[in-house]
Amino acid sequence: MSKPVQEAWEQGQKKANEGYMQQRRITIDPITRLEGHGKIDIFLNEQGDVDRAYFQVPELRGFERFAQGRPAEDMPQITSRICGVCPTAHHMAGTKALDDLYKVDPPPAAKKIRELMYSLFMTEDHTLHFYFLGGPDFVVGPDAPAAERNVLGVIGKVGVDIGKKVISMRREIREVMTLIGGKVIHPVLGLPGGVSRRIKPAEQERIQRVADESVEFAKFTLQIFEDVVLKNTDYVNLIVSDAFTHYTYYMGLTDDDNRVNFYDGLIRVVSPEGGETARFPAQEYLDYVAEHVEPWSYVKFCYLKPIGWKGFTDGMDSGIYAVAPLARLNAADGMATPLAQEAHDKLFETLGGKPVHHTLANHWARVVELLYAAERLRELAYDPELVDPNVRTLPTETPKEGVGVVEAPRGTLFHHYQTDDRGVIEKANLIVATQNNSARIAMSVEKAAKGMVSGGDVSEGVLNTVEMAFRAYDPCHACATHSLPGSMPLMACVRDPQGRILSTLQRDRDGRVRRS
Amino acid sequence: MCVAADRAAAGPSLGPGEQPPAEAWADTRVLCLGNDILSDDALGVIVAERLRECPPRACEVTYTFAGGFGLLDHLVNARRLIVVDTMVTGQVDPGTVSLLREEDFRCAPGDSPHYVGLFEALEAGRGLELGTPEEVVIVAVEAADCLTIGGPMHPSVEAAVPAVVDLVRKLAGSPSLLPEAR
Repeated sequence: MSKPVQEAWEQGQKKANEGYMQQRRITIDPITRLEGHGKIDIFLNEQGDVDRAYFQVPELRGFERFAQGRPAEDMPQITSRICGVCPTAHHMAGTKALDDLYKVDPPPAAKKIRELMYSLFMTEDHTLHFYFLGGPDFVVGPDAPAAERNVLGVIGKVGVDIGKKVISMRREIREVMTLIGGKVIHPVLGLPGGVSRRIKPAEQERIQRVADESVEFAKFTLQIFEDVVLKNTDYVNLIVSDAFTHYTYYMGLTDDDNRVNFYDGLIRVVSPEGGETARFPAQEYLDYVAEHVEPWSYVKFCYLKPIGWKGFTDGMDSGIYAVAPLARLNAADGMATPLAQEAHDKLFETLGGKPVHHTLANHWARVVELLYAAERLRELAYDPELVDPNVRTLPTETPKEGVGVVEAPRGTLFHHYQTDDRGVIEKANLIVATQNNSARIAMSVEKAAKGMVSGGDVSEGVLNTVEMAFRAYDPCHACATHSLPGSMPLMACVRDPQGRILSTLQRDRDGRVRRS
Repeated sequence: MCVAADRAAAGPSLGPGEQPPAEAWADTRVLCLGNDILSDDALGVIVAERLRECPPRACEVTYTFAGGFGLLDHLVNARRLIVVDTMVTGQVDPGTVSLLREEDFRCAPGDSPHYVGLFEALEAGRGLELGTPEEVVIVAVEAADCLTIGGPMHPSVEAAVPAVVDLVRKLAGSPSLLPEAR
């Protein structure tokens, strides 16, 4: 063992022994992770009010360089390893980019198998989010003690039996995804022009059973949302409050009839007033999407190129737009399945018609989409063509450039590859959902901070309020890295106009807020 | 040196993305967390590969890069859990190895799948009475960079691999994972 390693080892052992043998606790303080990780910088003006607030997060780096020189066929596998939560979304966007790269149209059964896989993924993801992650705001409640505003608090509220049902549903869905995709985490389903494996008639019955159960569970979930949230006036008032409202553009994939589609279609954009601003195929995305860079963040802030960047402001003249469940519903005329359409109509009737600009309505929109995902899953599960053995069209064209787009749970996901004649990547560009939303998230954080700070008085509740503001988007930041503690710490750093730190607020694992 | 008897006694070793079946039970599970395309985050994957060359007796070795509630599959149905992962504290040099308990970590609760880490998943597993481990220890290695896709491992982090493998083997062979009980 080399000397540095020996020293490192001895240091680690010494620390471990101290911690265990003397019952002294080693505290791993999350705020000491990389600079900017989950850090909110609040700059006060001379009057002690919020001038600007920045939400800083780390971002994965080097993807484009990593992709260069690799066979394009590897991209669905490589990109699925970017995110430990949404591998299926990256896998499918990458697969569709390969279709476009090789100019090959998969057979109908292959498209249906892909969409089936994707519907399973969306059903699972939206279910987990509603019960365990959006729950702290609406199931436990925004005014509940901080220590209860977590997964355990939600379980305590909905009951262990429902929690177990969620886990059981998830397991069944993942088993079917494994059946179809080989693996859940690293699916090996997608190939240019089709899928790697057909579905056998004997397997269809199991898929149908899971699909039936998914629809019933989605209906049950919608009922819970209505009982817990919609019957509580305080919650509805919170959803429509100005603190969580921005008048921006909205983007989402839509089918031929302008209905929400997660897997395929044209990208549609509607204005803050609800009119159609753009409707374009994935290949034209660079004509509509541009990225703005700020010196204080690694994150690129997407905006609509035809409208332009006008700073962190909303309205018709600002190109800032949103993606994710509410944006998808806003950007579409309706849902493609009957129960989801019914739920969709109720949402917009309750909240005053399209478009709805209240960020917290994302939680409701997610439940509507859960119903759609489950219903679409059932439609595909019972489709006779699903078991057609013809699941691949072999590519014959020389590759050059391909773009693939899907709707990830958190919004529109773009994959764009350029290759040489052999199909080796020369350039790759990815725009993930959170990048699309990043400008609006920044506005939400600033607005929330402004509501909680006045005359230099910084309330400890600023952390909860700010967190609610960005949680509804469910942002994804460097999520494929596993470094402990694994969860995102949140810290607010209050600075004077000169940038000097006045105080910091940090919430610990027990929910308490530390001020220093 | 690994002997045949050890191999025969060892539990199944699972690859990335592979989940233990719901009914699978392991007395001791070594769960290596990491992502082999993310610089120092590859440590967990490498440690798992080394351990799988000769798995500790009666011990299941698995690794995953799954996040969020995807971790739950790996946290249930085991009596003891040894987690291998990187951490970034900035307080010690890269490659520093620490042996820690859950309580040693202080972090905000995760409220998004992307912010659900090991500890939130363990808490959820306990809250749902899913059969989470009685004993959990974490072998954590200080990393320099876990955000650069395709980036090289820091030499000190890479050099810590044999020490981590050795520590895991010793832990797996101990009657209790908690040193004070030894």
